[in-house]
Amino acid sequence: MTDEMLMKAVKDGDLQQASLLFERYNKRIFNFLAYLASDRVLAEDLTQNVFLRVIRYRTSYREGARFEGWIYQISRNVLADHYQGQKRHRSQFIDVENMSDTLPDNTDAAERDEKEHLLQRAMARLTEEQRQLLVLTRFQHRKYEEVAQIMNTTVANIKVKVHRAIGQLREHYFTLEKI
Amino acid sequence: METNDWDSLLIDYIDQNLSAADRGKVEQALRSDNAVRMQYEQLREILQAMEQVGEQEPPARMTTSFNARLQEEIRAAKQPRTISLTPTVYRVAAAIALLVLGGGAGYWISRHQQQQAELEAMQREMKATQEMLMAMLDNDLSASQRLQGATVALRMDRADNDLITVLARTLTDAPTTNVRLAALDALGKFSHERPVRQALIKALSTQNDPLVQIALIRMLVDMKEKTILKELHRISTDEQLLNEVKDEAHAGILRLS
Repeated sequence: MTDEMLMKAVKDGDLQQASLLFERYNKRIFNFLAYLASDRVLAEDLTQNVFLRVIRYRTSYREGARFEGWIYQISRNVLADHYQGQKRHRSQFIDVENMSDTLPDNTDAAERDEKEHLLQRAMARLTEEQRQLLVLTRFQHRKYEEVAQIMNTTVANIKVKVHRAIGQLREHYFTLEKI
Repeated sequence: METNDWDSLLIDYIDQNLSAADRGKVEQALRSDNAVRMQYEQLREILQAMEQVGEQEPPARMTTSFNARLQEEIRAAKQPRTISLTPTVYRVAAAIALLVLGGGAGYWISRHQQQQAELEAMQREMKATQEMLMAMLDNDLSASQRLQGATVALRMDRADNDLITVLARTLTDAPTTNVRLAALDALGKFSHERPVRQALIKALSTQNDPLVQIALIRMLVDMKEKTILKELHRISTDEQLLNEVKDEAHAGILRLS
């Protein structure tokens, strides 16, 4: 069964099918949120919230629409709501100073790859939208067409924004490298 | 070319998304322009670093926890849906109900008051008309006024006891035949009302105008008022009355018998 068929079943009241969608997407959504929040525990909670919203707002799913685009949109909303609620998201930037406490399991300070750490710090200087664009296109290898659907814009616009984000990331990265 | 433009071109070059012509242009610049070559090296390092960021495995407890919450959702979905009336909902509902009821009550009161005012105005107007009418009927000095009053009474839809009394007195006491006949016509219009009927029967015994007597006998006979038979016998044998009156009484006896 396709994702869309499963989601239609959920929409029609067969909520158990949501467990299959969870199996297929929980890792993707968890990583998306973990990259953006730089907090595994938070990403865990937020991922569950995403799937609960899929169930509770199932009637708002438009039949025929790509499920992947829809669930990423929900994920972005869940993240935005979290930041809104917690008021802990200062401006558009991640708390770089405390990042080492919240990085993934395999990012223990002693073993952490220096370049990856540098990349994280440079990413933190980008806007929320730029981080989402880079996570989707470069970390998760989503196509521009898919990202355009998630972001509700055109492919050309996405491409311009992604290239601009990479250009700014390059500047931050090599500026930080010199410090 | 600006740095940003080179960024975009170099990213597409690294991603192998350029046409042959653009690819040639970039390779030419990489060979001849140190700044472009450095920019290219930096972008390649950045893109490579992003490429190497591995995916993380979510903790197993996340799946367990989600499945538990899914079962709760399924149970909740199976239960009959109930509307949760929070205090806010109550307040909003109460406000709407008050608005609707208030509006309805206000509208009803307004309509009622308007109708009441209209009714009172009509009653005042009728009373004034009736007083004027009775004054006209009671005007002993003006036959034309009494005739006019009787004519007005004829156009009225209903009559109260006061008007009937005045009309009956006019029928008996008016100095002219025309006024008495006008009063008789007015009373005849309300002949279905018991007080009028009784007033007409009483008038038959007291009427002394021959023309009015004949008209009165015809009216009561038309009304099939059999209680007047005795009076008709008296009239038909009364030597002091005109023969025309006695003949009308006799004809009435025949019709009612």
